[in-house]
Amino acid sequence: MALKPYKAEELFDWVTREDCDFLLLDVRNNEEFGRFKVEGPHLKKMINVPYMEFIEHEEQSVAQVPHGEKIRIVCAKEGSAKYVGEILANHGWEDVAYLEAGIKSWGNLLAPKLIRAKDGYELYQFIRPGKASCSYALLYKGEMALFDPTRNLNFYESFAQQHGCKIAKSFETHLQADYISGSQQLSATAGATIFGNENDFQGAVFNYTPVKDGDVFTFSRPGGPEVMAIHMPGHTPGSTSYLIDNSYLISGDAVFILSIGRPDLGGKAVEWSKMLFKTVSTKIADLDDAVIVLPGHYMDWSELNQEKVFAASIGDIKKRNADIYGIKDEDDFIRFIRENMRKQPEVYAEIRKVNAGLLQVDEDEEEIMDLGKNECAASMAAGPHV
Amino acid sequence: MSSDIKVDKEMDLKGLACPMPIVKVSKGIKEVEVGQVLKAITTDPGALTDFPAWAKTSGNEIVETVTADKETHFFIKRLV
Repeated sequence: MALKPYKAEELFDWVTREDCDFLLLDVRNNEEFGRFKVEGPHLKKMINVPYMEFIEHEEQSVAQVPHGEKIRIVCAKEGSAKYVGEILANHGWEDVAYLEAGIKSWGNLLAPKLIRAKDGYELYQFIRPGKASCSYALLYKGEMALFDPTRNLNFYESFAQQHGCKIAKSFETHLQADYISGSQQLSATAGATIFGNENDFQGAVFNYTPVKDGDVFTFSRPGGPEVMAIHMPGHTPGSTSYLIDNSYLISGDAVFILSIGRPDLGGKAVEWSKMLFKTVSTKIADLDDAVIVLPGHYMDWSELNQEKVFAASIGDIKKRNADIYGIKDEDDFIRFIRENMRKQPEVYAEIRKVNAGLLQVDEDEEEIMDLGKNECAASMAAGPHV
Repeated sequence: MSSDIKVDKEMDLKGLACPMPIVKVSKGIKEVEVGQVLKAITTDPGALTDFPAWAKTSGNEIVETVTADKETHFFIKRLV
């Protein structure tokens, strides 16, 4: 059978289905593979045999690939996966396919999930499996508001077009350190207004509209859902969550389903931990238990709900993170944060500068900076906290 | 972008994307004697980690790597 291509969208669909049955063969070198790889809740079989080994020692390399398996190959760009795919096809494998455009198409992939279509508005979650992060869109009568968009602007623009919308607003929950934001470019190309809290964006060199606690945003046409800003400092001093229609909280890195946003990335762990403790014991404590949290990141695939969306109610989150929400004393909270602190990736300092418009890099450099999982949670869940 | 190393063969692999630089360098190294040096000029960003991985696999040694702008020059000594 002829070698065939597959797309990152298809790969996401396969690895999130229980009947995922292929062997993923990653042919990048060990170093690149170790740094970043494909993940999915139902991906069971994955091996790494670098393409240079196929070039140097073809027979031994082929012998490492189990016979009779369906093979899906991944490489950096596409060429090496195709090259290895042809070798396997020549050796009798019948079902072999290579990832179109390589691992970066997986790293940048956004998978749209409809969360709600009622009362005339639509709310979508865009899962970015390459980063374990989520961005969001709220659509109402020809207008679309984005929340924490990534730099995959083509995707958002064609999504808006398909839904007959214009991208009018882009809300930032905070100054991101783990991925490059698309807001600056959206403002330049689509003319969208960027919103962010001054505590995070005051040094930024692009135009944005400052957001304050309690600010309410609406759509141009009447009858749409309200978006209310809730200042939740801690992960960053400007961290802001957006409460949509009194029902959905786009929480950025303030509230996660299985953790909370780490307050130690800015180099002021104690000061920011105090802010976070105050946020937990006031702003988060005041939220109705029924409010659905839509987080900026997920820690684990087990957080997917039945609709395959990363969402959970505040009540549920407080139960699942009793170790965090059960802390009643500020010193105990600071101690908890200190005990869970991990090193942050060095690239975060650079990404912050790019997101503030203070550092210009070309597209290749952006691509490299932007690839790799996030390190934003204060605690890494080994499994669901009960 | 100069180096004091004596080069026995030079390959221009500019503009090529993986796997071609490695396919070509794998053949090219066999065209110099053991102990001699092959210089390969690449522009593929992936070469920076792919060439060392290939050298390890093939048993040859990268004696020097010079990077400037978008070009990387690898000086590879044939060991086997």
